[in-house]
Amino acid sequence: MRGKEAPRALLVLLVVLVLQLTVVLDIRIGGAHPDLILGLAIAAGLAGGTERGAIVGFLSGLALDLFLTTPFGLSALVGTGVGVAAGQLVAAGVDRTNWLFVPGVAALGSAIGVIMFAVLGAVLGQPDTLTVGLGAAVGVVTVVNGILGYLLVRACNWAFGQERSGSAWQGPLVAGDRH
Amino acid sequence: MLVLVSVTLITFDERSGTHHITSGLKSVAHDVFSPLTSGVNDILRPIGDFFAGSVNYGSLQSENQQLQATIGRLRLQLNQTAALREQVRELDSLEHLPYLGSLPIVTAQMTQFDLSNFDADITLDKGRSSGVLVGMPVVGAGGLVGQVVQASHGTAIVQLITDSRSSVGVSFGPNNQTYATATGQGPGNPLSVQYIPAQTHLHKGEFMYTNGLADGEFPPNIPVGRLHSFKATVGSGAMTVTMTPVADLDELAYVDVVQWEPKL
Repeated sequence: MRGKEAPRALLVLLVVLVLQLTVVLDIRIGGAHPDLILGLAIAAGLAGGTERGAIVGFLSGLALDLFLTTPFGLSALVGTGVGVAAGQLVAAGVDRTNWLFVPGVAALGSAIGVIMFAVLGAVLGQPDTLTVGLGAAVGVVTVVNGILGYLLVRACNWAFGQERSGSAWQGPLVAGDRH
Repeated sequence: MLVLVSVTLITFDERSGTHHITSGLKSVAHDVFSPLTSGVNDILRPIGDFFAGSVNYGSLQSENQQLQATIGRLRLQLNQTAALREQVRELDSLEHLPYLGSLPIVTAQMTQFDLSNFDADITLDKGRSSGVLVGMPVVGAGGLVGQVVQASHGTAIVQLITDSRSSVGVSFGPNNQTYATATGQGPGNPLSVQYIPAQTHLHKGEFMYTNGLADGEFPPNIPVGRLHSFKATVGSGAMTVTMTPVADLDELAYVDVVQWEPKL
């Protein structure tokens, strides 16, 4: 990250974290609430490529870990994973002209992220994460991040100084893209 | 590289020797963010409440009347049982047993509920500065709610008894002489009660209380839950038993932190 990117990215991260810890916790569907932090990691990968996706995913996950009783570093690991995966998808040259690209990747990435969190949680001593509430958590996080994916990508575009992109969902070329 | 850092952090957190470092970081983060999240909630919640209230005004009025009636009945019961409680307290003091009513409490307001989709926990607006420490039991809504697992200067996180990492020693039956362990099975699910011998006589709906064992993790005789279901497991010497918490963990607003520290 260069120049204004770091403070802007931190500001976006801070806003999303505060929203996650306040308004989002009040939204409950089937006992589960959305996970904007996971959505932000995916959006950072889509908007900024593999490296930025990894950094934002790691830092946002780590920030969330400070407030959870799950093992410290678990959300950071998941955030890094989904951020890198989203960045790799962009770097692989997948067609991004389709308006469904961002919501689709945000939704799919979120589902993978929640399942990854549950599996790692089970490995680290919480076996019930694989059964209790997993379906509801996957469903809610997937749908909400799918809907908000475009908005989160726009926030990341602004953070990375790419707000003048021609197409809202297509986004600019990022480091690692095929020219 | 970042994956490696994450794995290292998880390893550090899981090792008891370095756990205090991550606990310290979490404590600082809670103290820094608490005023911020509280301010945002103060601004946004009234707006949400206004819309919710205007839509549900009729049902809220009816619910309010029912609650007033319930409060009246509970006041009556409270007055009737005051004398009995005094007798119990005197008997317990004669036996040198700790009595919940004799222990100091800190009343706290719940500010956040289930921070993660996989945890059953609540955040309180009181922390170490108010005498709330890690390990202290939390009661409310008629029964045991959970135990403090993190405490910062001004906030505390309580692990609810329904959390899959929670385990409470319980007693029940005639003279509370049968002991078992109640383990959480995730938010919204009944607790699993383990180590009950196959021939034990059980009644659906009977109360289970903290037994005061396990290094005194909880004071004895706090209502934990009511027996929900039981069946003998073929080929096993134990029964499969579940219990629903006495306290309505979905409707917590204020709770009492009992200033009781486990004798570890």
